[in-house]
Amino acid sequence: MIATLGSKAIQDVINAGRFGRFAWRSAAVSLRRCAHRQTYPLIWNQVNIIGVRSVPVIMITGAFVGMTLAVQAYDQLAGMGLEEHLGVLINISVVKELGPVLAAVMLAGRIGGALTAELGTMNVTEQIDAVRSMGTDPIAYLVVPRFLACLILTPVLIIYADLMGVVGGALVSFLQLGINSRAYWNFSASGVELWDVSIGVVKGFFFGGAIAIISCYKGFTCKEGAHGVGQACTEAFVASFISILALDFALAVVFKNVYLTFWPLKSLV
Amino acid sequence: MNESEDHKSLPQDADYSGPLIEVRNLTKKFGKKLVLDKISLSIEKGKTTVIIGPSGCGKTVLIKHFIVLQRPTSGQVYFKGRRIDDLSERELYGVRTHFGYLFQEGALFDSITIAENIMFPIRQHFKGVKWREAEELVKAKLAMVGLDGFQNYYPANLSGGQRKRAALARAVALNPEVLLYDEPTTGLDPIRSDIINELILKFERELGVTTIVVTHDMKSAYKVADRIIMLHNGRVIADGDADHIRNHPHPTVQQFINGQVSEDDLAVLRMSGTLATSQFLPRDFQ
Repeated sequence: MIATLGSKAIQDVINAGRFGRFAWRSAAVSLRRCAHRQTYPLIWNQVNIIGVRSVPVIMITGAFVGMTLAVQAYDQLAGMGLEEHLGVLINISVVKELGPVLAAVMLAGRIGGALTAELGTMNVTEQIDAVRSMGTDPIAYLVVPRFLACLILTPVLIIYADLMGVVGGALVSFLQLGINSRAYWNFSASGVELWDVSIGVVKGFFFGGAIAIISCYKGFTCKEGAHGVGQACTEAFVASFISILALDFALAVVFKNVYLTFWPLKSLV
Repeated sequence: MNESEDHKSLPQDADYSGPLIEVRNLTKKFGKKLVLDKISLSIEKGKTTVIIGPSGCGKTVLIKHFIVLQRPTSGQVYFKGRRIDDLSERELYGVRTHFGYLFQEGALFDSITIAENIMFPIRQHFKGVKWREAEELVKAKLAMVGLDGFQNYYPANLSGGQRKRAALARAVALNPEVLLYDEPTTGLDPIRSDIINELILKFERELGVTTIVVTHDMKSAYKVADRIIMLHNGRVIADGDADHIRNHPHPTVQQFINGQVSEDDLAVLRMSGTLATSQFLPRDFQ
């Protein structure tokens, strides 16, 4: 049993090392290739697949997040006579946390699964070996466009999710809960700063990068057969989901410290 | 056209007269499984070498070592006298442009058209090539395999034989010096198989390429081979021309080329039980 645990631990360390090397290579090649004109059509193709086709699902996610928050939070605030502050609560939750995290989770399911399945199928049908056999770097040709597209588009999609969350929350607040719209927006404007929106958008870069790298790695290393591809997709989603939550926590700590460091300077500006 | 990769590190044809490809004491293990066991062989320029052997004996693994798609566990691989198995992936990209590889299932990129598949290596290595020029090249390559007019088809819309021929057109897109065929006739009917055999001979004749074919189709092997190498249990057990192989005294070679099952295999089948007792009948599920 100890031997089994030991060999599993060694294998996990080896896999972590392989993933680290893959992530490092992907980032380094992306940096080099983003200046190449030849890469742009490949990125553009992925922008369409990853970005444009994700817009509806991301907007629906954002809208429902805002609407649900309005319904859930109203009773607590109304009990204290603070129902007109509902906008602050909804909007700050949407732009800072729920919008970015839930949008990223949706993207991990929609894009991550698709990337892993596509690259995994290419792997088991020797298409990745074919790229290598023709003297081309599969990371440059297959990973870089997907990575850069995710990096660019996840923050943009988060802005869509935020926007729809704000709209969805406002509509439920005005039409269903009968909150005064002027007060709602006034309190929102005073409570939600550009900094809060920026945090959510910046998180998108990290979430997008994590989703792309994890999904591509799982596709590149997936085992043979339909079962292998299916398993890789599941693993990619689970790993992306956990990474999103872990990154969210780490970034929350970092941003809080940054805010506390620079907050005294705000009055000078 | 300016070739973007610098291949000056490889000797030019006039400078080099040794074997084109050479492997020395090549051993490959997957975990504890020994697939290739200290294989040493060399491939002469301009000849067609056929590697035969039963399924799972390591034929594909061996030719993947020729372009270092697999790294040896131990041993060395040389191309034009230069050791290549210890090169980095980046250094290997230049070396691999000297090779064309026809994968067992074609390995065409299924999300792009046949024309885009063939254009892929051209546009990767000849950065300045104009679209019109590339289209002409694609047309010429497809015409060589009898598929001109199929430019806008997707791989899924082609038959098995057409897919192999399209993959072959992609493999010769960079005018390679060496063509590696991995089971080129597997899954094809006898007529389509013979078309592939004729294409192998045509490319050897017209392009002067060095050809290495992995197959267990003996008809194909006898038709195209200048030299036949037989692998068994990760080792070379026979090496020579077609007549040498036909008259080889090794019983495993004779069983393989004549398609005869061995007594050991028959004994295993007998021990597995009879069909009637092991088979469920439809009424068992009612």
